[in-house]
Amino acid sequence: MAEEPKSAAPERGERTVQIHVPVLARVEGEGALHLRIRGGQIEELSLQIYEPPRLFEKFLEGRSYEEVPDMVARICGICPVAYQISAVNALEDAFGVEPGPWVQAMRRVLYCGEWIQSHCLHIHLLAAPDFLGYESVIAMARDHPQVVRRGLALQALGNDLMRLLGARSVHPIGVKVGGFHHAPHPAEAQAMAERLHAALADTQALVRWCASLAVPEDWQDFVSVAMGDAQQYPIERGRIIAGDGLAIDPAQYEQHFTEEQVAHSTALYSRYRGRAYLVGPLARLNLNRDRLAAPVQQLLAQTALAWPSRNMFHSIVARAIEVHFAVAEAARLLQDYTLPSAPAVAVTPRAGVGYGCSEAPRGLLWHRYRVDGDGRIVEARIVPPTSQNQARIEEDLRLSLQAFGLDHDDEQLRLHCEKVIRNYDPCISCATHFLRLGVQRE
Amino acid sequence: MSAMGKLRIIGVGSAAGDDQAGWLVVQALRRTPLAQRCGRGTRMLALDRPGVQLISQLEGADAVILIDAIRSGAAPGTIHRIDDLARIEADLLVSCHGLGLAATLELARALDVMPATLLLYGIEIDPATTGAAPSKMVTEAADLLAHRIVEELPLHAASESAPAGVP
Repeated sequence: MAEEPKSAAPERGERTVQIHVPVLARVEGEGALHLRIRGGQIEELSLQIYEPPRLFEKFLEGRSYEEVPDMVARICGICPVAYQISAVNALEDAFGVEPGPWVQAMRRVLYCGEWIQSHCLHIHLLAAPDFLGYESVIAMARDHPQVVRRGLALQALGNDLMRLLGARSVHPIGVKVGGFHHAPHPAEAQAMAERLHAALADTQALVRWCASLAVPEDWQDFVSVAMGDAQQYPIERGRIIAGDGLAIDPAQYEQHFTEEQVAHSTALYSRYRGRAYLVGPLARLNLNRDRLAAPVQQLLAQTALAWPSRNMFHSIVARAIEVHFAVAEAARLLQDYTLPSAPAVAVTPRAGVGYGCSEAPRGLLWHRYRVDGDGRIVEARIVPPTSQNQARIEEDLRLSLQAFGLDHDDEQLRLHCEKVIRNYDPCISCATHFLRLGVQRE
Repeated sequence: MSAMGKLRIIGVGSAAGDDQAGWLVVQALRRTPLAQRCGRGTRMLALDRPGVQLISQLEGADAVILIDAIRSGAAPGTIHRIDDLARIEADLLVSCHGLGLAATLELARALDVMPATLLLYGIEIDPATTGAAPSKMVTEAADLLAHRIVEELPLHAASESAPAGVP
């Protein structure tokens, strides 16, 4: 449970501010932000993650490769497809399997569904109420019913798209190493393509609406890291690139990125060349906007924002652009849908190590598996996007709070911290007003 | 629940253990004469993300019967009947994340899509139930609740079809 706020009168401009995240139901992960301000300067700032280690990597040991996609889907209820696709990429790498163009295209379609539903949930239920000054989406819906209805309809479209290939939208079960368990009937694919085409006007309007929101001018220097592909906007496969010119294969990830334990969190902190870095929609767009189709690039240009953006508050626009892109991309891929002779290629396991990654809605998700000759998992390593962003969130909070002004009252500081953290869409931001402020003045 | 017009019977849940209580009731209802006996006007659905899909299903309905898993401390398998939604406390209801059921109904109210009548049935679950199979208590409670719902419905209530839900 959250600690009760504590307050005392300030003395000689010195005060200690403590912000706590209470334990919340229906929120994946539990965390707290501890902030100490003394003499007008941030003396201490740490994002504390209380989520107990869930030990998925250990759960996987000894399991057959065939069980892995369904097991890792349970890591996250919002982005199960990301875990499935990164896993099958890594296992197919280990087995030397190439699933072919139909499977790759349909994985991209499935993933588009996840981006659409996850981004729309974030934009409408979490971020927009912040920017418009509402307590929650419920309060916002009374004044902006059409915006909320549009968001819910798009989110439902994303869920239905996931269901088309995954059989269900929560913890889908369609993905397997080598392809899919089932191929949708062409009539289903065609009907979905038509729904997607029909939604494009709404997604364009969503981009314009998000770009019209007033956000803080908060420019920061950070390194963007995302996947990159010579041909297309990265989703389900590709190399790993960074804003400083890095371009590596997934197998080289551990040579450039490290994870370390910190005393105040059970999550691991990732660093790139010793620095915090950004993954997620803004990083993807910063590095890959020239891979968007011309109409999407035109829409991006109409936002009148400068890209690449160094303002994390533009993340909501990046998400909206990706919603529009994903709807258009899935419509394009389903337009040419044909029933394959088989929805998966044959897989013969072999001993070895495989690496795979994909772009989860929240950013780069990297997997590595060591398997034995029977295809059983000997060792697994999973690096999720939220832990990659944690060091960056702390860095951002320091800079953003300093720019915002530490003289704001405690409630304003708390709200600003929430907005900053929410830009990264970490699981702990799933609740509105998740920060409780305690002030200790001596 | 006398005059019904367009009726939706909606089971909310997930594939995890007892959390599929709402789905089980809908599955059981599809095995009852209700599915054939009713004409137009009634739909039965199993939903997995209450926040989004539930609101679109509430819209246009005159009456809705919702079935979800509940944890209140009662014995697993206990059936709760709640027709006064003011009694719902957010933390009483188990749901997948995004919006919980209580918040979803609040949002539906804000969007003015709440039906004239909404009845909530909850089946008390054992949160320790893991894996695919629900507990015996919840399975039996789901069958019992399905029959209770059939008995409560006027026989002239009707079914448009049984469109696909999740299970």
